[in-house]
Amino acid sequence: MSFRWTVPIMSFLLIGSCLTAEATAESKPSYTRTVENYQIPDVTLINQDGARIKLRDYLVYDGPVLVDFVFTTCTTICPVLSSNFMNFQKTIIAESGKARLVSISVDPDFDTPKEMKAYLKRYQAKPGWDFLSGSRTDIDRVLRAFNVFTRDKMDHPPVILLKAPTDSRWVRIYGLIGTNKLLVEYEKVRQ
Amino acid sequence: MTRTSPAFLKIIGCPLMTGVLAFVLLAHAGTAVAGTSASASVAGVPPEEAMRLGEKMYRDGILPSGKPLQAIVKGDVPVAGSQLTCSNCHQRSGFGSSEGTIRTPPIDGTRLYLPLSKFKGIPLTKQATELQANDLFRPAYTDETLARAMRTGVDPAGRQMNTAMPVYDLNDRDMAIMVFYLRNLSSGLEPGVTDTSLRFATIITDEVSQEDRQSMLGPLQRYIGNRRLSRTSEFSVRTGAYLQEGTSRGMRALSLVVWELKGPSGTWQGQMEEYYKKAPVFAILSGITYGDWAPVHRFCEDHKVPSVFPITDYPVISEKDWYTFYLSKGLYQEGETSAKYLNSRDDLSKDIRVVQVFRKNRAGTALSKAFQGAWTGLGRRPADDVALGEETLTADFWKKLADKYRHTVVLLWLDANDFPDLENLVKTKAMPEMIFASSSLLGQRLYLLPEKARKSVYLTYPYTLPQDARKYRESIETSLRNLNLPITNLDIEFKMRSLFSTLTGALAAMRNYVYRDYFLELIEKTPDLTVVQVPYPRMSFGTGQRYASKGCYVVQLSEGPKPELVKRSEWIIY
Repeated sequence: MSFRWTVPIMSFLLIGSCLTAEATAESKPSYTRTVENYQIPDVTLINQDGARIKLRDYLVYDGPVLVDFVFTTCTTICPVLSSNFMNFQKTIIAESGKARLVSISVDPDFDTPKEMKAYLKRYQAKPGWDFLSGSRTDIDRVLRAFNVFTRDKMDHPPVILLKAPTDSRWVRIYGLIGTNKLLVEYEKVRQ
Repeated sequence: MTRTSPAFLKIIGCPLMTGVLAFVLLAHAGTAVAGTSASASVAGVPPEEAMRLGEKMYRDGILPSGKPLQAIVKGDVPVAGSQLTCSNCHQRSGFGSSEGTIRTPPIDGTRLYLPLSKFKGIPLTKQATELQANDLFRPAYTDETLARAMRTGVDPAGRQMNTAMPVYDLNDRDMAIMVFYLRNLSSGLEPGVTDTSLRFATIITDEVSQEDRQSMLGPLQRYIGNRRLSRTSEFSVRTGAYLQEGTSRGMRALSLVVWELKGPSGTWQGQMEEYYKKAPVFAILSGITYGDWAPVHRFCEDHKVPSVFPITDYPVISEKDWYTFYLSKGLYQEGETSAKYLNSRDDLSKDIRVVQVFRKNRAGTALSKAFQGAWTGLGRRPADDVALGEETLTADFWKKLADKYRHTVVLLWLDANDFPDLENLVKTKAMPEMIFASSSLLGQRLYLLPEKARKSVYLTYPYTLPQDARKYRESIETSLRNLNLPITNLDIEFKMRSLFSTLTGALAAMRNYVYRDYFLELIEKTPDLTVVQVPYPRMSFGTGQRYASKGCYVVQLSEGPKPELVKRSEWIIY
């Protein structure tokens, strides 16, 4: 195909897809919610204090567990996801709620304990919110297991996972969600 | 650069706050915020000061009062501006970014005040915007609609922007400064740039051998000579709404000048100033010195000149400096790695004693300092330092050392000329638990380590292992031969390939938007490079990340007459 024709054809496709996106935008929420089963790999990660954490054991908790995937030098979705975790944590602490928040790095080459600790501090994290990284191999296994792996870390999707203490299934929130809606989801898995 | 299917594109608009204050703003915006050449004051401060204050709000989320900017994101999430600064998403250049399903549009001074239309040249009305039904397209901003967008999250077409865009609590004075800053952000031509040309420099210091000089300069000259910011390369990246812009004036010829720096490093600054004054450059590409890169680093910080991948073992280690991208932390990385590796060895006593032997020269100082910093940072008791002048290291010296430091870890930060034959260290009953050395300092000498010492000696190795990189090195040799370039130092030529792999994407994506901040951001967005393109297992990038290869192996030599390197660790990061 010549370049001459590629542009109009691509423009046509672009318009088509944009119209489709707009047409559906109002009828759908800004995020999608699904329930998933994940096989968590048997890996040992490292947290912001340099402590080694066995992921499988760590995700077993007597309260809701929330997981997101971020990196400390992310410029777009991570600040939004982390601001959300920050406010969520503040709210549940104020209401005597209980949850374990886990941020998993998608940039293990850069996110050392020192970087992770500084990041958590920036978002005023309280005990109960940990940031985990690990070897490239282990992190890739975790990302694949939770279906959030992308070849380029800058493509990583906005996903929050929630799990009830009594359930092995995960609620997967795909898309950016506000704190109030996250609290609603939290209440659902809490019951 | 991340590319996303248009169907998933979402906009995060520009900030601004609720306000009843449009009329006050008009007074400010209509007069003071007049344009780039304004000599009048902006909200009562001189234009230069307004740019400084605006930059502080934009980059750090700090108001002119010194207090943090307050914002709301996602409709109900309050954040301090320092947690979610404008530049977090829109970047320093204002050219925006994209990640996952989120697209942050450009808000530089030029494009904000132009309509963004799907069809070039057709201005947008509100009706047309609705019909086109895509958040990315909008009428031009005015100072007033820009302020409204920041305060209320409503765009110039009257639509609510994606709530990932915070709304900001700015008073009128601060808003006037902010609008002025945005109006002037990334506009005009930068040094080294004309409408038809783009000039780069490279740097060579006078102690560098002809062979090494050729290994750096030959491929670089060939690369620049064969490249322009051309329509052809632009075409391939014209896949998104913003990428369609800027393609018609993109034919800039690239050129490269060589800055030869002579004499003591203390005089380099003056020499660079002279070169720069005579003919400014947009950026410095590669460069080579056997010494310290610090004078060049400082020059680049002072003049905001990007510098990409100099060949040096002595980069400046800084968490805040902005303008130089290094291949790695050089020898510093090896010193740190030995500390991290020792710390990870659960079989060693937590109180194990460590001694480092080094010359008080640049290499010895870099390695020992890096080890000591990392080791004590891990909560370990400081290593003993045996810092040497220029004395000859006799067999008696090594015997005494072995007697004094029994069952310790010995770090020998020495080069091939100084390295002992190790017999005096390993034959004694009190032999060290482990001996560490730097493969970069030893060079090919490391393969001469005597067989009986190999079990005790660990080496830091910051590259892909030779046996794993062999076929990639061969492909470089082939391509150099095809280009009729001499093969003088393949290690350097492999590092040059790292530069080209990084530059090619950044230059193609930069198109007509030739701004240094944007150039740096495009490099930061380079997808990870792996062993196919670079001499390291992985080079990775990100906002503010300035050392692309971040790890190092610990290896030992295998047995036999033709030893190979055997990994004793994963690629160590922490």
